[in-house]
Amino acid sequence: MSEKSIHPHGASAAELSGSEKFSAYFRNHQMVAVESLAKLLSTPASSLLTWLVIAIALTLPGALYMAVNNLQQLSGHFEASGQMTVFLAEDTRETDSNALRLKVAGLDQVNKVVYVSPEQALEEFTQYGGISEALSFLDENPLPAVLLVEPPLGIDKEELNVLVAQIKSFKHVDSVQVDMAWVERLLALLALAQRLVVVVGVLLALAIVLVVGNTIRLAIAARTEEIRVIKLVGGTNAYVRRPFLYSGFWYGAIGGILAWLMLGLCWILLQGPVADIAALYGADFYLQPLPFEPTCWLILSASLLGLIGSWWSVQRHLVAIEP
Amino acid sequence: MPMVRFDRVSKRYPSGNEALSGVSFELARAEMAFLTGHSGAGKSTLLKLMMRMEVPTRGEVIVDGSNLSRMREGLVPYHRRKVGVVFQNHQLLFDRSVFENVALPLLIAGTSLKETGRRVRAALDKVGLLGKEKLNPIQLSGGEQQRIGIARAVVNKPALLIADEPTGNLDPELSAEIMNLFSQFQQVGTTVLIATHDIALVERMNKRRLILQDGQMIAGHTATEGVSYV
Repeated sequence: MSEKSIHPHGASAAELSGSEKFSAYFRNHQMVAVESLAKLLSTPASSLLTWLVIAIALTLPGALYMAVNNLQQLSGHFEASGQMTVFLAEDTRETDSNALRLKVAGLDQVNKVVYVSPEQALEEFTQYGGISEALSFLDENPLPAVLLVEPPLGIDKEELNVLVAQIKSFKHVDSVQVDMAWVERLLALLALAQRLVVVVGVLLALAIVLVVGNTIRLAIAARTEEIRVIKLVGGTNAYVRRPFLYSGFWYGAIGGILAWLMLGLCWILLQGPVADIAALYGADFYLQPLPFEPTCWLILSASLLGLIGSWWSVQRHLVAIEP
Repeated sequence: MPMVRFDRVSKRYPSGNEALSGVSFELARAEMAFLTGHSGAGKSTLLKLMMRMEVPTRGEVIVDGSNLSRMREGLVPYHRRKVGVVFQNHQLLFDRSVFENVALPLLIAGTSLKETGRRVRAALDKVGLLGKEKLNPIQLSGGEQQRIGIARAVVNKPALLIADEPTGNLDPELSAEIMNLFSQFQQVGTTVLIATHDIALVERMNKRRLILQDGQMIAGHTATEGVSYV
């Protein structure tokens, strides 16, 4: 047999039709994608090491992002309200306090006023663990009477300032504390934290590119002979490159999935303690897991970073290997 | 149109060593020829120029109508698919089976799996290794490994087959077998060029001889010139 198989001008790759070429191309991609993943899984110890490095590098900014995201939600509760605490002068009599309460309640920009007498304040305070004992050492009640003033929701900063100045000018008012101040500070800190997420994220993204690049460099070095033979029998640069690019992609994608799992673990571990703290502050707050969309971005960008790392490595090392 | 045409080809390496100077010759289609000369005469360089593994410093190398000196880098792989090549050191991959080694050029060219199986078996049958396709090349003898290399070189049905010292490490009997195999390929229309220093074998084959000496072709430029020089 086989005289037939060695015709000088028999069908060769160049003579495949367009659609055949197309399907051959996709078949090759499919095969290489599966093979490169299988190759990584066949050396689980070393692959896992790379995956863990990538996962940890992604978990750090991921966790920061999750924290910022949660704090933002928390601050959202308060952002809208400009609740203020009006401290009354120490020796204000009850009737004066009452008169003041009515006066404040009569203002345009006030929704609600609650009077808290020194006794009530003390009682409230003693409900918190540990403090009551400390308070029992004091001879007299150190707490002043307080008016809790609630302006309408969505009051803007200007109006709030006017209101504060107005209340401050009233007799018997010692000081006015707007709870907005700490919300503003929190928001400023959050802006800083957000910037931090970006900076840490960019640095660690760079680290991932370098880690994958170096891993691929070693893989190329281990397969120099194979690459030489493939180029010798007519393998294009794209053909030679393909398995390494897929390896880079798999390093990134699986690293990203591991990072997501790690963030999930963080969430499970922290959820309970956070809920306890929130309960102590009487806040209706639950630690939110990483939402769906950022999760997709996490895994997608991890895959992309793996691809970039391997591309960078392949460009530098593969072209140099010639038969 | 000849299969191979060298037109006053010179090759100087960056080290300053001039491996070939002013070499001109033609190989007709379906012709078989030997390339001989002392070691360092430029045989390997001449074959590398045909594979576009090297580019000539001067002159033109034309294979199957394509001028390799002017070929775009991106087209080089497609040129190599038209040329089967056999090396003294086999260049086999020992992390895969005999079948996979021979199938490599087809895999690269995107041949369908069914067609690949058919052609690989045909090539292995031709070199007498049909029963050993599942083995690793490392389990086979030197002569058998060389035949795997030949099967890989012809599996894509190249129009041109070149070999660099294909019998270098083999005993005379195996060498003769390998040479017979090459002449069978020529008989079905493949152009064959074999670089060797096995003069006795070349004389027995009674084919055209191209002789290189210090980078110059001193005999065999044309098919009619014969084999007068040793």
